[in-house]
Amino acid sequence: MRLLNIMVIGALILAASFVYKIKFDSTLQVERVGKLASELRRERNAIAILRAEWARLDTPGRIEGLASRHLALRPIVSTQFDSFDRLPDRPPVIVQPPSADPIGAMIAPPDATGSVPAPPAAR
Amino acid sequence: MHASLKPKSAETRWQRALRSLLYGQDVNRNVKAKARLGLAIVAFAAIYGVIALRLAMFATASDGHGARRGVSQDPVATARPDILDRNGQILATDVKTPSLFAEPRKIIDVDEAVELLTGVLPDLDASEVRERLSSKRGFVWLRREITSSQQHEIHRLGIPGVGFLTENKRVYPNGPLVSHEIGHVNIDNQGIAGIEKWLDGQGLAALHMAGLATDRLPRPVALALDLRVQYALRQELVEARAKFKAIAAAGVIADVNTGEIVALVSEPDYDPNNPREANDPTRINRITTGVYEMGSTFKALTLAMALDSGRISLNSSFDARLPLRYGKRKINDFHAQKRILTVPEIFTYSSNIGAARMAVSLGVDYHKAFLKKLGQLDRLRTELPESAEPLVPKHWGELSTATIAFGHGLSVAPLQAVMGISALVNGGRLVPTTFLKRDQAAADKLAIRVIKPETADKMRYLMRLNVEKGTATRANVAGYYVGGKTGTSEKVVGGRYSKSKTKVLTSFTAIMPADKPRYLLLIMIDEPQGLPETKGLATSGWNAVPVGAKVIERVAPLLGIPPRFDLPKADQMLTVSAKETR
Repeated sequence: MRLLNIMVIGALILAASFVYKIKFDSTLQVERVGKLASELRRERNAIAILRAEWARLDTPGRIEGLASRHLALRPIVSTQFDSFDRLPDRPPVIVQPPSADPIGAMIAPPDATGSVPAPPAAR
Repeated sequence: MHASLKPKSAETRWQRALRSLLYGQDVNRNVKAKARLGLAIVAFAAIYGVIALRLAMFATASDGHGARRGVSQDPVATARPDILDRNGQILATDVKTPSLFAEPRKIIDVDEAVELLTGVLPDLDASEVRERLSSKRGFVWLRREITSSQQHEIHRLGIPGVGFLTENKRVYPNGPLVSHEIGHVNIDNQGIAGIEKWLDGQGLAALHMAGLATDRLPRPVALALDLRVQYALRQELVEARAKFKAIAAAGVIADVNTGEIVALVSEPDYDPNNPREANDPTRINRITTGVYEMGSTFKALTLAMALDSGRISLNSSFDARLPLRYGKRKINDFHAQKRILTVPEIFTYSSNIGAARMAVSLGVDYHKAFLKKLGQLDRLRTELPESAEPLVPKHWGELSTATIAFGHGLSVAPLQAVMGISALVNGGRLVPTTFLKRDQAAADKLAIRVIKPETADKMRYLMRLNVEKGTATRANVAGYYVGGKTGTSEKVVGGRYSKSKTKVLTSFTAIMPADKPRYLLLIMIDEPQGLPETKGLATSGWNAVPVGAKVIERVAPLLGIPPRFDLPKADQMLTVSAKETR
C-alpha cells in the first residue's frame, strides 16, 4: 500500500516535470517560430523591393538608352532574317589524297593478272 | 468496518469524553468521515479540473495571442497581386513602406510633438498636425509612406503616442509605359482605374474588408500585354505626335485569333506612380473611353457586309460618277474617279459614293443587323472598367446608312472597331476582346461566327490589294505582307463637320500577315498637321500609314512573324484561296 502510494507520487512528479519540460520546449519553439516568421517577412519585403528595383532597371526604355550608348547595334530589318530551309548545304569536306598521284597509285599495282605474268622485278 | 469498530471499544474514558465533547453524543464518526472524504474528493477533483481547463486554455490562447501580435504589425493597405505582362515582366508590384500615425489621447505635450515631427519632416503642415493631435480621436494618420531613414529619426525622438505601421505601396516600375491599361490605385491601395480596379472587383475588395488580404502572397495576374511591343508602339506614337503636331495619338495591337490586346497606347498618357496626372481630361484612354467616327476604316465593315450577303460579289460595280444626294446633303469622294467602280476599286480608291450605294442597296435593317452582330452598336465590355457607349443615330434612316457605310454618323470606341475588323479577317469569327492572357482553345469556345470564311478570304484580299495599289501603299513593309485600310474622318466641331478640313482624325488599320492574319494594328492620330514633306496634306496615307509601317517593322520580329519574300501578289492570293474554298 505504502509502496503503491510512493510509486504514484513518484509518477506524479515525473509526469509534472515532463509536462513542464514540454511546455518549456513549446514556448521556445513558439518563440523560434515567431522569430522565423518575422525574418521571413523581412526577407519577403526585401525581395519585393529588389524585384521592383529589377523591374525598374529592366524597363525597355532604359535598356534601349544603354544599348544606344554602349553598343553599335541598329534596329533589325526584315531582310536580315532567313529560314533554316534556305540554309545552303554544308560545303563538301576535301580530303587530301595520301599520295601525289592517286590515280596512278590505283592503276600501278597489281602488275600481274591471270594472263599477263609479272614482269621481272626492276633492278 | 470491522477494523474501525475494534479501536472504538478500545477507547479510553478520556478519549470518549473528549469525543462526546467535540462531536456530541450518538454521532457515528465513521459515517461522517466517509461523507467528508467524498466531499474532499469532489472538491479536489473540481480544483484539478479547473487547473486542467486553465492549462488547456493557456495552451490555445497563447497561440491566439501570438497571432494577434502578428496582425498588428501587418500592413494596413491591402496586399495586391503583382501584374505581369505575357512574358512575366513586372508591370505593378507591392513594396512595404512605413507610415506614421499618432494616438492623440496618449500624447502628453502636443506642441513639443509637433515641433519635433516637423523637424524631421519639414514639409509636414504644422497647424494641421497640431489640429489632428489635439483631437479626441484614438488614431490619426500623420504621414503615409515615409522613408526608412525618416522612420529611424522619428523613432529616436521617442515621442510617446506616435508609432509606425507597415503598409503596402503600389509601384509601377515602367512609369507611364502601360498607364492606361493597368490604371492605378489610391493611397489605401484600392484600385481606382484600369486593371487595378478590375482586380478589386474580382473579390479583392471583399477579402480586404474581411481582413484576409493582408500579408498573403496572392497569385500574380498575367496580362496579354507584351511590354516590348508596348514600348515600341508607344515610342513610335510619341515621335509621330511630335512630328505631326497632333493633339493625341493612339494605337492598339490585337491578336485577331484570340482577341488578346498585345499593346495599347493612348498618348498623352500619365505616370501611374503619380495618379494626379490622370485627372487631366486630355490624358484619357482614347482607345476605350473615347468614341470616334472611324471614317473610311468602316468601309471594311460595309464591304464585308455586302460580300457576305451573297447579293454583291467582287465583280459587281457601282456608279460613282456623280455625288450622291440626300435632300440638301451631298456625299462626295475624296479621291474622286468619276466613273463606274468595281467593288475592289471602291475599297482601294476609298469611294464614299460607292460604299454608300452598296449599303443602301442592302437596306437599312440589314445594315443595322450586321453592325449589331459585329458588336458595333453596343457598349464593349472588357476587363477595363472604363468604356464608352457608341453614339448611334436616334433616327436611323437611309441617310444614316449611307453615311455610316463610309464611317460617318456612328461613333464607336476604337477598341470596338478593332474587335469587329479582327472578325472580318480571322476567318469570320467574332472573339470578345480581352486584356488577360488567353489561349486559342479558350478563344475558340467564346468565338461566334459572324461572316462566312469565304468573305473573310475576300476581305484579306481587299486589305492586301489596298496596300499594294490603294491608299496605304506606304505601309508595304518588305517581307511582312501587310494588308490595311486607311481612314480620314473630319472631326465634328460644335455639332458640325469642320469646314477647314484641317481638323481630321486619321487612322490606319493593318493586318499582318495578310494571307493568314495573326495581328491587327490600329493607329489613330488626332488632328495631325500637314508638313512640307507630306505636301501639306494631313490625310491618313501621309501620317498614320507611315507610322504604322514603322511600328510593323519594329514589332513584327518581337511578335514572332517570320519575314517571307516569296509571297504572291494580291490577285493571285484570291485565286489560291478561291480554289481552296471551291
